[in-house]
Amino acid sequence: MPQVMPRNRAVIDTLPARGARPPVTYRYAGDRFLLLEYGDMVLDLTMNFRIFGLNDALKRSGVDGLIETVPALRSMLIQYDSLRLPTRRLVDTLKQLEETIASVDDLNIPSRRIELPMAFEDRWTRADIERYVKFTRKDAPNVINGHNIEYIARYNGLRDPEEVIHYLCATEWWNACIGFWPGLPFMFPLDPRFAIVTPKYNPTRPWTPEGAVGIGGPCVAIYPVASPGGYQLFGRTIPIFDLQQRNPAFKDNPILLKAADRVQWVRVTDEALEAIREQVYAGTYRYKIVGYESLNVKSYLKFLESVKPEVAAFQRRQAEAVKQVAIP
Amino acid sequence: MLEVLEGGIQTTVQDFPGRVGYLDLGTYPAGPMDHFAFRTANLLVGNAQGAAALEVMVGGLKARFHDRRALALTGADTQATLNGTPLPLWESVAVKAGDLLEMKMLKGAGFRSYVAVSGAFDVPEYMGSRATFTVGGFGGFEGRALKKGDQVRLNPGGTGDTQVGRRLRTNLRPQYGTHSEIEAMRGPQADPDYMTPDDMAFFFSHTWKVDRNSNRMGIRLESHKWQWARTSGGIAGGHPSNILDNGYAVWTVNVCGDQPIILVADGPSLGGFICNATLVSASTWKVGQLVPGRDTIRFKEVTMDEAVQMAQTLDTTISERSIERG
Repeated sequence: MPQVMPRNRAVIDTLPARGARPPVTYRYAGDRFLLLEYGDMVLDLTMNFRIFGLNDALKRSGVDGLIETVPALRSMLIQYDSLRLPTRRLVDTLKQLEETIASVDDLNIPSRRIELPMAFEDRWTRADIERYVKFTRKDAPNVINGHNIEYIARYNGLRDPEEVIHYLCATEWWNACIGFWPGLPFMFPLDPRFAIVTPKYNPTRPWTPEGAVGIGGPCVAIYPVASPGGYQLFGRTIPIFDLQQRNPAFKDNPILLKAADRVQWVRVTDEALEAIREQVYAGTYRYKIVGYESLNVKSYLKFLESVKPEVAAFQRRQAEAVKQVAIP
Repeated sequence: MLEVLEGGIQTTVQDFPGRVGYLDLGTYPAGPMDHFAFRTANLLVGNAQGAAALEVMVGGLKARFHDRRALALTGADTQATLNGTPLPLWESVAVKAGDLLEMKMLKGAGFRSYVAVSGAFDVPEYMGSRATFTVGGFGGFEGRALKKGDQVRLNPGGTGDTQVGRRLRTNLRPQYGTHSEIEAMRGPQADPDYMTPDDMAFFFSHTWKVDRNSNRMGIRLESHKWQWARTSGGIAGGHPSNILDNGYAVWTVNVCGDQPIILVADGPSLGGFICNATLVSASTWKVGQLVPGRDTIRFKEVTMDEAVQMAQTLDTTISERSIERG
């Protein structure tokens, strides 16, 4: 029996949930783009994995008229040539592909592991945070001892900056999507036992050094260029964007990271970071990239199940801590 | 070679359709703000429609030619002259070494003009395109707008002798005005799930003023008190315009809090605000001619079928059959 609902003219079609497969919504985004969405608006990395599975399948399908795809957290934007590929045919193709990847458990997602050196609580981010306090907000509660990292500790119920650093290094960071600015990654912890969260700056910070790394909500981002920003900073890494393509890592384009990459922080001192950054620009540094391994979703989900009690315990600790901390 | 004597307000090298295929790396396509005038300028001088040409915002470009070429000027009227003699728009003319092109102040409606030269401008391809991406500072001529002293190379050959005296039929030339009707499709995030039907009715009937802070990243419209179909964005944020970050279609209407912004050539590729409507490909060119702080627009809703038909008609219009000689 058809549901009685107000007509949604932005929705082209839907595919109801079946078994473990989430419902799919296909939306118009003009005559050249289609937006596909999985499930409800919740943050669930398995949705993101499924997006990559679909992206892979769509690209391999060789459908004529497909121009490009933009995978994101639970959605994928698809650009297509609607004069060659009618919307109906694209939607039918996408629906068929859902049947070929019926279970996210069966997915193996091609994923690179990239080790990036990180100077935590470094002097460059410290300098811009100090400028923020001086010129933008003197009483910013998220700046303690001239940095954000102590605030991140308190907001999450962690003992001190050292424990924050331990948490950040204890998990790989899954790059769910790239966007907003060229090369800017949106990364989430693969090990939820170390999923720290923070509120954002208020007002935003007019300055952030290139290579700075920060966290907003559950998401970690690396700033590809010096820019304003709103995330709580915890350190600085090496360039992930180089217009001049001075290092072999930037040979094909100036952008290092791709969606579905996994990033691991490796702690270094300010001095060591400075030296590596010079080697990057001299072209002699070799980025530590393990070219395509794959992430097996089935074993990952098994892992998630096994750590559930620990995750719940940390979330309780966070919930208690938040009550004691001022929001910016 | 084109020797730049004055760069004007913002003159950039662009190509069409721009840097396509890098949205998943966070890079919007750049390219011309008005692809109708851009493609037509190239067509008039016998270039491929997407070839590298100049986008001149507001005017002020002063440049000397060092080669014999065909030249076409399209788009807004900047009262341009060649060696002091008024230059026609939408028509190709001959230029020779030493000739001086001067684009002055805008006259009447419209905001951007295009300069195409037979053989096209020779700037390096960067990530598959010659378009200038102003935000990232790459592509085009050294990743920036042209300025005094720049020497922009032209591709060899292409004297353009046979491409002189070509005109776009008069009845096909766009008539820019201070108010434009711009065709758009509802979605991806519209009613009834994100906005109310009343919100969308307002969106498609209101006369929107183009904010003075509009540029190649976004065309800002005025804020409005939307009713919203939701009370908050849930996990994505406190405001009902917040969603979990998703890719933004190029030329979509992004509602940031209460303010709608049309995301254009150099916009952000992804973000966490709803987009309640998206311009159709055959209408986006009109946006390039909007004068910030002055012009008004109304969005006219069209269906997918109508949009496809419009795209076909536009491709037919920008073709050899629309060119007359004389």
